[in-house]
Amino acid sequence: MTTRTARIIFYSGTLSSAILFLVLTVDTHRQVEALTHADQLTDQVVAGKKVFQRYNCNDCHTMLGFGGYYSPDLTRVYSRRGEAYIRTAVAKPDSLFANSFRRMPQQHLSQPEIDNLVAFFQWVSNIDTHDWPPQDSKKRIPAGARRLMGGATLTPGAALFKENGCFDCHKLAGTGGDSGPALDDVGLRLGEKTIEEIILSPQSVNPNANMPAFDLPRSDVEAMAEFLAKQRGE
Amino acid sequence: MIAYNSQRVAYPYFVVALFLFALQVILGLWLAINYAFGLPQSIVDVFPFSTARAFHTNLLVLWMLLGFMGGTYFMVPEETRSELFSTKLAYIQLILLVGAGVAALVGFLFGWNQGRPLLEIPFELDLVIVVGALIFLFNVGVTMIRAKNWTVIQGTLLGGLIFLALLYLFGIPFYKNLSIDWYYWWWVIHLWVEGAWELVTGAIIAWILLQITGVNRQVVEKWLYIVIGLFLFTGIAGTGHHYYWLGAPRYWLWIGGIFSALEPVPIIFMMWDTYRNVKERQKPITNPIVWTLAVGLAIYHFIGAGLWGFLHTLPQINYYTHGSQVTVSHGHMAFFGAYALLNLTIFYYAFPRLKGIGRFNQNLGYWGFWITGIAMFLMGLAFGVAGVLQSYLERFLGMGYMTTQLTMQLWFKIVIFFGVCFLIGVIIIIYDLLRMRPAAPETA
Repeated sequence: MTTRTARIIFYSGTLSSAILFLVLTVDTHRQVEALTHADQLTDQVVAGKKVFQRYNCNDCHTMLGFGGYYSPDLTRVYSRRGEAYIRTAVAKPDSLFANSFRRMPQQHLSQPEIDNLVAFFQWVSNIDTHDWPPQDSKKRIPAGARRLMGGATLTPGAALFKENGCFDCHKLAGTGGDSGPALDDVGLRLGEKTIEEIILSPQSVNPNANMPAFDLPRSDVEAMAEFLAKQRGE
Repeated sequence: MIAYNSQRVAYPYFVVALFLFALQVILGLWLAINYAFGLPQSIVDVFPFSTARAFHTNLLVLWMLLGFMGGTYFMVPEETRSELFSTKLAYIQLILLVGAGVAALVGFLFGWNQGRPLLEIPFELDLVIVVGALIFLFNVGVTMIRAKNWTVIQGTLLGGLIFLALLYLFGIPFYKNLSIDWYYWWWVIHLWVEGAWELVTGAIIAWILLQITGVNRQVVEKWLYIVIGLFLFTGIAGTGHHYYWLGAPRYWLWIGGIFSALEPVPIIFMMWDTYRNVKERQKPITNPIVWTLAVGLAIYHFIGAGLWGFLHTLPQINYYTHGSQVTVSHGHMAFFGAYALLNLTIFYYAFPRLKGIGRFNQNLGYWGFWITGIAMFLMGLAFGVAGVLQSYLERFLGMGYMTTQLTMQLWFKIVIFFGVCFLIGVIIIIYDLLRMRPAAPETA
């Protein structure tokens, strides 16, 4: 092979790849509007992105799987955790994660900043990521949830407990988070009425509670309280 | 021992790079401690993981680029057979870049940053870096143009450096759309490490091999064309393997999967090219550590970048491993295998010559090479095991993030252990390079 042949290989390889890449880049720009719902990219969402960058959230958390691997991915945080949890986590990380092995810095965000951040997370949670991340995929039910539903037919209260993300903070039969107390014997400690009050307005029962209020239909709250009151550590 | 006086400007670049390298590794250890042990809120509030990570990654980029720049300044006079256009500009450039780097690190401590991983440097400092890069390109370009001794190696080097500088520009603006933001973020990060940096690596390593082996230049340059051609062919469209899950069209799964599966090919060629040059050497081996480093670079480059990248580049696998510790494992082994070893090869080739030393005691250098090489490999494996655990438990079984992290604890402690070993290796290398003395008086 001569140097000339090698040069031709170099130029043709580089150019063909670059042309393909640039053409697809143009097409991606065309399609990304729909895939990311760019029409819902409001000023508040953009302001939320600036908040996200200002506090360097992305060097601990991944977003779309990119960034620091130190804490949970935030792509679907809005649908996974819900607005109330996000607000508490950002405003009071020092108390919410007091029992956690890993902590989040208290960065003293203002109320408008938190509002914008939530709008940003909500927008991101709708980006079409081809069903990534797997743990938040609606098509694939996580094994933890499968285990829970597998054994018996779920009572409405238990289904609502799961549906409203209570497992994010509370443990039941070994499944769930650590931010709130385990609820295996909650029926021994609290009555049904108190549990209802806590769900609707946690601070009315315990002013220091980190738990967000759940603004749910009366019947849902009653079903959950009935289910929880039966948890007597058996 | 140097042919041109202006080659001396490389020395301060190398010394600063070495110092920053050590600092980067120390910060890396701190990150591992964050992973392995719970830290009190008072520390997390003042010096959170995010700030430490910004230190770790920006120091990496800065020391490696300074090493490349020093290497370029060392090599260009000999390759063009002329003095550098201006040594003064080279010093001004160094002061600008290091000044911007230090200002950035101090700024990070006080929350002054752009908040985009690896590109945290705020806009104002980006401008300083652009000025520094322009001075560099001007200085190198004018030297080459005035000398008019064009070679393929020079062309590749200059092309790679211009490409590198141009890509940096895509990381500067604020993008409203998160998906577009990450789309162009990868133009900087991916097209750097799997494009522009590979060109620089190809040119520098071809030049060093040419110098130490004395093989035919035409053969070396012919293979350089092939290797960089393959790097760009697979690397440019291979950027698509970062576009699988960020809100881009589905065809990227095909494009990214196919092209990035081919990415190990040029590295295999490079490895084979190195092997052939070493085998067909025309010159005696006077500085064996450089030969070891050059061969080590070729092999480690293949393992860390080629093999480890290939392992999780297919979309079917990447769906579960994306953004997990598997990525961390690949990142560490690839950056060390390809670019840290390239820098060390440059340093061990250039330092004795800059100091006018012929033969020198090689023991410490070998200790440094083997300790860092093995420690990084085992650290990469530990990250890899943690990553497989995470992919399986969190992504496949749907276990909670923190619950999964607790099962990975042991492996982070193992990372700390190998991190300490790695740091010891780095300190040995730095000590060895800085106090390098002739082995026997008559060769001084």
